[in-house]
Parts: sequence; structure tokens; C-alpha cells
Amino acid sequence: MTAPEFALRTDGMGKRYRKAWALRDCTLALPAGGVIALVGPNGAGKTTLLRLVVGLLAPSTGTVEVLGHDVTAGTPQTLSRVGFLAQDHPLYKRFTVAEMLRFGRACNPRFDQGLAERRLAKLGIPLARRAGMLSGGQQAQVALALALAKRPDLLVLDEPVASLDPLARHEFLQVLMGAVAEGGVTVLFSSHVVHELERVCDHLVVLDQGRVTLTGDIDTLLTEHRLLVGPRTSTDLDRTGTVVEAVHSDRHTTLLVRDGAIPVAPGWQAQPVTLEDLVLAYLRRTSAPSAAVTPVVTA
Amino acid sequence: MTWLIWRQHRTEVCVLGLLLAVFGVTLLVLGTQAHALFPGGSARCAGEAGLSDACTTSFRRLDEEYGFVENLLAAFYLVPVLIGAFLGAPLLARELEEGTWQLAWTQGVPRMRWLAAKLTALAGVTVVLTGMFTAVLTWFRQPFDTWEGRFQYDAFDLEGLVPVAYALFAFAVATAAGAILRRSLPAFGVAFGAFLATRMPVALLARPAYATPLTAMEPVGADGPADQVGHRPVSGFADWTIEHGYADATGRRLSSSEYYELKDAADRAGADLLQLLHARGIQQFGVYHPADRFWRFQLIEAALFVTVAVALIGVVVWRVRRRMI
Repeated sequence: MTAPEFALRTDGMGKRYRKAWALRDCTLALPAGGVIALVGPNGAGKTTLLRLVVGLLAPSTGTVEVLGHDVTAGTPQTLSRVGFLAQDHPLYKRFTVAEMLRFGRACNPRFDQGLAERRLAKLGIPLARRAGMLSGGQQAQVALALALAKRPDLLVLDEPVASLDPLARHEFLQVLMGAVAEGGVTVLFSSHVVHELERVCDHLVVLDQGRVTLTGDIDTLLTEHRLLVGPRTSTDLDRTGTVVEAVHSDRHTTLLVRDGAIPVAPGWQAQPVTLEDLVLAYLRRTSAPSAAVTPVVTA
Repeated sequence: MTWLIWRQHRTEVCVLGLLLAVFGVTLLVLGTQAHALFPGGSARCAGEAGLSDACTTSFRRLDEEYGFVENLLAAFYLVPVLIGAFLGAPLLARELEEGTWQLAWTQGVPRMRWLAAKLTALAGVTVVLTGMFTAVLTWFRQPFDTWEGRFQYDAFDLEGLVPVAYALFAFAVATAAGAILRRSLPAFGVAFGAFLATRMPVALLARPAYATPLTAMEPVGADGPADQVGHRPVSGFADWTIEHGYADATGRRLSSSEYYELKDAADRAGADLLQLLHARGIQQFGVYHPADRFWRFQLIEAALFVTVAVALIGVVVWRVRRRMI
């Protein structure tokens, strides 16, 4: 099997629950390899998007192609190549850890029991303990070990660290990044935390109110965007169309622009933008019609 | 999959198995004693033979010593419902409740195969457990059935095929309700409520109409013992009498007021009621289903409940296939 160029391709993907759209017109092409972050405030449709990607939901419109296959077909081949870690990492609470591994082995042809056992042993998680008796961090680790033992080509994680304390969060990300470093797996994970993404991710998808507002390679996005600081002005005719956000203080105007690197007008200074500021600017932009501009995304 | 299903549902299966084992052993012990009242088997006392002295004594002792068991067992028509609902309710609801559906359906086993395996296994356990329960109960009731027939509510609802059909009905309702409500306990309640709400109209209204009942009519005899008026069955004792009463010589049924007019007339004349009825050519009639319709009725009622069960399972399969859960 040749490795597909894209881990995930969607075309006009949308999902409607009764009358409300949770996700609309979502067209993405995410490259295989590397780590993709899906960022957006609560209720933006992140969980819906991820469930569509792993085939838990069927799209109301459009298509979803994972690793070159239509995911809605739900074939064992596609299913066993995609690992999924749902929010709050559900496990069968009454199963022991060993039984959870047996569950994984029974349900997956490529399941690597030894790999999972080694990972859990390294973390000091006893196999005889019931899953429900483990700490939140340990449960997350068991769920991750289970997903990784499938040897997936695409690993999808929904808010994997949201419910973990800082230490467990650090350990979890360490294991996850270790698995990425071993190679061969594309990771797609959602987060409402923008902080630290830059260090971990290669690719970014910003989702807000059910729509994709920004997507791209993080390095490219950071090169394309910059902050321009200059004297206070209400219009900037030269740059209409490229301004993502304009912030006016008493004496200065700060513009976030996406203009590549064209020369700066006299009196203006160019500064690089951080990923966090970039994401926040895009999120504020979508919610702009509502007068109150409050940062919905917290670091 | 077999291991997974067993691991997930072994608690329910073991609890039910244990309860049924206790019940079965108790009934086997009591039943052996009750059967011992009929040397050579209760079947020998069926029909007219039941009027012999030996049989009458046996039946009286059966009623005195084990009648309370029979009365207790009348409430056990709910046991199959309990079995079905107990196994069906958590099938989907527990996965939805605990979020593990996201785990189960993202493994290498496609969800339709997962669902098919679960439904087959748990419906199978439902059928096996209910079948064993019904077999023991039917055996226990043999002497009672010889005496009373199998059409009474405490026999028909507990024997043959219908208990299994009730169990499958409850299983399907509980599974479907669990898929929609996403909670095990309410799903269990819904299954119980649905059965009780369905069973009453079925037993009272639908069941007598599974076939056209027969009508037997015969003139009131002149010398019949008076105390048996209105009680003496025109039909056989094992038949299911739906209605009985009096009709005039042309066969027109008498209303109760007409009957009481006759009774008053007899009282006023100081005559024996039977003599009067006989003299006026009054006939007594019985509307009934003959005893040999038992299996036919069982089949019809079982088919009714199983059809509903299949339809509900169809809804569940459709919802899971359409990824509405």
C-alpha cells in the first residue's frame, strides 16, 4: 500500500443536528506525517469534526477521506489504521488494564500487545488494576497506549489533556511526542489551549462557529502574517483586504496583516506575530459582529 | 468478540442464571412432590377420568397443598420480561452512558458487525434462559393444567412459546429505548412499562379474537342439579369459555334483566327455576375456544410479540447504521 499524500481530505463536509449546523463547508487537506492541531473555542465544532474524521458520525454534506479511503464505508482496514482517543478518554471502568489490552487485541488485527505492555510498565501502571480505579492521568495513558498499540497511521485525539493536571499533561504529551518521533503516525488533536502549540505542532486548523477560519502549515502562517505598528489611523487604504485585525490605541494603530513581506510604509514598524496572537485574532474576527470583543480563547 | 461480550455482560448473565437456578431447583423439588400425588401421571386423570375417586382426591390434595404455589407463580409471567429487559437495556445504553461507544466503534471491528454479534449473543441468552424457565414451569404446572386447562391467564402466559416471545419483546424495547434514552435504568423501566401496557389489551381483547370462537348450545335439562345452574360448563373443562348464559328457544340470547324476570316468575310461582327454564325451552350456551387451539393461539401471540421485537431491532440497526448515535 502506497502512503497517501494526505492523512485527511474533506470536501464541503458539514454536519447538521436537527436544525442547527455544527459544522459547515469544511474543506481541508491535511498532509500525512507530523502533528496537526485543531483549535477553537468550546462549541466551535471540534468534537463533531473529529468524530466525522474517525467515522463515528456520518457527514450531512460533503465527503471525508482518511488515508485515501472514504471513512463512512467503515471497513475494518480503515478502522484499524485510525486510532481515536475520545474526550475524557473513556475506558470500560470495570475492566482491568490487562482486560482493556485484551479488548484491543480482540478487536484489532494489527494490535501490538507487547508495545502496550512496555509503555504501561514504563509508566508504572499495574495491569491488574481496574481501569476505573486509576487516576485520570493513568486512564489517559491507558487509552493512549491502547490507541498506539493499534499501530495507527492516523491518531486522532479529542482534547487529550484538557482534564489532566499539569504534571499528567506533561507526561501525556511526552509519551505522545515520543510516539510521533518514532515515526509513521500522523497526529490530529483538538485543543482549546493555544499555548504551547507552537512547540508541538506542524500544522494548524482554526475552527470557529462551525467553520474553518484558518488552516495551514504553522511556519508558513507565521511568515505570512506580521504585526504592523504605526500612527493611529482609521483607514489604511494600501492594505485593505490583507488586514486581519486592526487595534487602535490612543496614539497607535496595530494591524495584523497577511501580506507576505512587502515593504513597510514609512512610519510603520513590522513585528513578527506569535501563534497565540494569530489564532486569537482570527477567532476575534469571526465573532466580530457581536460588539463585545472578548478573548474567548484562554491560554 | 465472544470474549468481549461475555466480559461485558457476565454480571447480568450470572445474576439471572443464579436466580433462575434457585427458582428452578425449588420448583423441581415442589413439582416432584406434586407430581407424586398422581401415581402413573396426571395425564391419566384428564377429561372424564378426572371424575374418578382417586383422581378427585389427588386434585383436591394438589389444590390444598400446592395451590398457593400456583397462585404465586401467576405473577411470574413477568420473569421473561425481566430477563429480556435486563439483558437488553445495557446493550447500547451503557456504552452511550459511559462514552465507551467511541472506543468500541473506532476499533477494527465495524460497528454493524459489533452490533450483530451483541444482538445475537444477548438475544440468544434471553431465549435460552427464558426457555429453561418456561420448561420447568410448564412441567410443574402439568397436574394443574390437567385440571384447569391451559387457557387460563396463569397457564397460557407462562407456558409454551409466548414467554420467550415476551422476553424478546422486552429485550428489543429495552435495547431501542437504551439507544434513544442513552440510559440503562430508564430503558429497563420503559421495557417493563411497554410490556404491561401491551399485555393487558392483548390478553383481554386480542387473544379471544385470534380465531372465531365456537358456540355450544343445549336445552336446559329438567333434572339437572339446581346449584349448578349457570356454572355447568357447556364446553369442556379445558376449553376457554369466553362467555356463557341463556338463550330462548330460537337461540336469541337473554339479557340479564330477562333472566331475572324468569327467576322472579319462578319464585312467585314457587316453582323450581330449572323446571321453568326447561318448560319454556330455554337453552344454555357457551362461547369458547376448544382446548386444542392452545398451540395455534400460542403461535399467533408469539408471532405478534416477536414481530414487534424484530421491528424495534430494525430501528436500532437503522439508527446505528445511519450513525444517529
